[in-house]
Amino acid sequence: MANAALRNVKVLPNSANMEEARHRVFEFFRTACRSLPSVMEIYNLYDVVSVSELRSSVASQIRNNIHVTDPKVIDMLLFKGMEELKNVVDHSKQRHHIIGQYVVGRQVQDSATKDPDTSTFLKNFYNTNYF
Amino acid sequence: MASVSATSLSFQPSLKLSTRTSQGCYKTSSLEVVSVGWNRRTFPSLRSSRFCICAVKAQPETVQKVCNIVRKQLALPAESELTPDTKFSALGADSLDTVEIVMGLEEEFGITVEEDGSQNISTVQEAADLIEKLVQDKSGAS
Repeated sequence: MANAALRNVKVLPNSANMEEARHRVFEFFRTACRSLPSVMEIYNLYDVVSVSELRSSVASQIRNNIHVTDPKVIDMLLFKGMEELKNVVDHSKQRHHIIGQYVVGRQVQDSATKDPDTSTFLKNFYNTNYF
Repeated sequence: MASVSATSLSFQPSLKLSTRTSQGCYKTSSLEVVSVGWNRRTFPSLRSSRFCICAVKAQPETVQKVCNIVRKQLALPAESELTPDTKFSALGADSLDTVEIVMGLEEEFGITVEEDGSQNISTVQEAADLIEKLVQDKSGAS
């Protein structure tokens, strides 16, 4: 069902103002949340994560870009997000990609940035593993 | 990898019976149908003309469930006060948190909240009222 729904998604014209871009972010978040039960079924994630945890992970990734105020940049980020969502729903990724990016990725990033004794090389190494 | 188990609540069918027999019921010939998926609408059945729609007040059990979901989503402590008139913004929720709460409520109650419906939700009571209305519409349309 989510696969058929995402097939009809087309690239929208650029947002006219900040309010329209904000509205589209919420629409994208809603679309992503409604696809999560299908993602759980496709990748068999029932024993490692729940739908609410995946939803929190998606929300935290959107919140990482909360500082962006340019509607053009928001449109570009939305396009990349929709592309990523389509890749996930079409099973263009493997199970460990989903687990690495959305289940354990946050914890590793948080633990890496909180340790002040870690060298810059290791910080960049940890970051590139999950981006 | 440690696995987590989520507690699932079931919607008691007796609530529907009490809803139908409670005061404030009125019959209506036009039924507001909930959209499912992408622009797909379910047509009301012949029994929709006899479907009783209650007033906007939600059941106390629904309000309690909404409070539990809001508390879990916003990671509030158990002793924090959460009344039906509490605003989500007063609890420190931004607009994305509100959308996330609405998506959590959708998953819990098995409904689909349209955009114009979710735009107006800012308190627990409004969310519970909308959920009660959508649950009745869903049960009435089937």
